[in-house]
Amino acid sequence: MKPPAKTAASILPYLWAAIFIVVVWQLVVVFTKAHVALLPPPLLAAETFAHLVATGELFVHVGASLGRVVSAWVLSALVAIPLGLAMGRWRRFEHLVDPVVELFRPISPLAWIPLAILWFGIGETGKIFIIFIATFFPILLNTVSGVKSVDPVLIRAGQVLGCETDQALFRKVILPAAMPTIVVGLRISFGTGWAAIIAAELVAAQVGLGYLIADGMEILRSDLVLVGMVAIGILGVAIDAVFRIVNDRYSWGG
Amino acid sequence: MTETTAPMNTKGISIHELGVTFTPEGSEPVEALRPTSMEIEPGEFIALVGPSGCGKSTLLNVLAGFIKPSVGRALVGGDPITKPNIDHGMVFQDYALFPWLNVIDNVAFGLERQGMALAERHDRAREYLEMVGLKDFADKRVNELSGGMKQRVAIARVFATDPSIILMDEPFGALDALTRRFLQHQLLDIWQKNRKTVVFVTHSVQEAIYLASRVIVMTARPGRVKLDQTVDLPHPRDFASAEFRDYEKIIYDQLDEELAKTFKLEGGQGMFHD
Ligand SMILES: Nc1ncnc2c1ncn2[C@@H]1O[C@H](COP(=O)(O)OP(=O)(O)OP(=O)(O)O)[C@@H](O)[C@H]1O
Ligand SMILES: [Mg+2]
Repeated sequence: MKPPAKTAASILPYLWAAIFIVVVWQLVVVFTKAHVALLPPPLLAAETFAHLVATGELFVHVGASLGRVVSAWVLSALVAIPLGLAMGRWRRFEHLVDPVVELFRPISPLAWIPLAILWFGIGETGKIFIIFIATFFPILLNTVSGVKSVDPVLIRAGQVLGCETDQALFRKVILPAAMPTIVVGLRISFGTGWAAIIAAELVAAQVGLGYLIADGMEILRSDLVLVGMVAIGILGVAIDAVFRIVNDRYSWGG
Repeated sequence: MTETTAPMNTKGISIHELGVTFTPEGSEPVEALRPTSMEIEPGEFIALVGPSGCGKSTLLNVLAGFIKPSVGRALVGGDPITKPNIDHGMVFQDYALFPWLNVIDNVAFGLERQGMALAERHDRAREYLEMVGLKDFADKRVNELSGGMKQRVAIARVFATDPSIILMDEPFGALDALTRRFLQHQLLDIWQKNRKTVVFVTHSVQEAIYLASRVIVMTARPGRVKLDQTVDLPHPRDFASAEFRDYEKIIYDQLDEELAKTFKLEGGQGMFHD
């Protein structure tokens, strides 16, 4: 799709940023003479990182975290997209549902952790529930605004070109017209879900990047904590890049 | 080229004492269309002209099934209009092409809804794209086209589905004068091959006389028929001919009276003599 030169050019700023972070990190270690248990030097963190990669342990954690985010995010999309389509299309329905949404939206996913544990215990369900909350609203709000901003003349054109039922109209006109906005919502929500994974895994997880971090803290291995953080950052950027590519496919411009 | 074309489908339109009054929430009702009647024969090309706000779009929207009349009724081929459907085609001023589809799939959109198989509908779509001179643009994205090209795609799209009437609301209103002349010519060409009943709203008297078999002048709001003028000239019509000028004079005379009323209503003075 993109020529390799362009891909390289888009990676370059991230490389600079990474180098900058590592340099600052090293300087902080040198000047504050931080204890290795509090802030290990970058080289030690890199060694731990390499070790966890070599043993495959890192991939197990990444896989577990990704699996949770993806399943919660898909679940979220399955609920939020149809709901958003309906809210965007039928004003009455929106008036009914919108106040409920607005009341729930300001409540951070973190606030749900206690209830999630009480309701679902410490298994997978509770973690997925928290990510679900974190991913739900960006998808919903983008779907609603995507549907509302569909040019009414396109809907009329669809109607006089044979979309006589609401269902046909949704499938052939409203959904594709709102798609670019919905994809933006999916992308944002994956980001918020990914950010919330740590919170979800801090409590009673046996595997996952959040567990790696929480465990590192408990056994005073801040290098493990940092590896977890670095992995989250890198994967977050990588996943966002994938979404941008999908986004470019779906945006027909203007 | 024509062997794949379905048999011609065209119907007349009867409008009986049809009126529309809008009652927007929290404000005074607006009478957009005063009860009016007209008969349109199958295959006629009607041009609708009148002052801005006199209800031309409103009438077209009733015929398309987008809005219900407040009084009276409208029939297409003897059947009442209930809701929008593919048999009543429409061309919009701002093209209304689907930007997520390429050119050929825009033209084939209605055909797909009619249940035509992929290969067949692409053949048909190509045939109509050829009629508007855009065969080589079949695989282009809509956003790569100029305004004039977009409207030609929209015209191909509506004729391809073989509707019995075609409604056009200022289809060339957003185009420059040269493109407009070219498209008028092309529209006539297609219409002569596919004798559909066309109702064409325009602000250009010249365009109306150039295209239509009948020009209907509407009064200022609330609109109703003021003049129903048959244009008895062979195609292609010559803007500069004396006959053409005579028609122009007849229509402008009627239109000026109505424009004067509109401006008075809006408090304008001095443009027209009392
Ligand atoms: N949905 C609506 N609600 C309230 N009033 C409306 C509505 N649609 C149209 N009107 C009013 O009805 C009148 C007729 O409008 P219409 O759009 O049919 O005019 P028009 O002849 O097409 O004008 P133009 O030549 O400017 O396009 C106008 O006064 C307009 O403000
Ligand atoms: Mg109008």
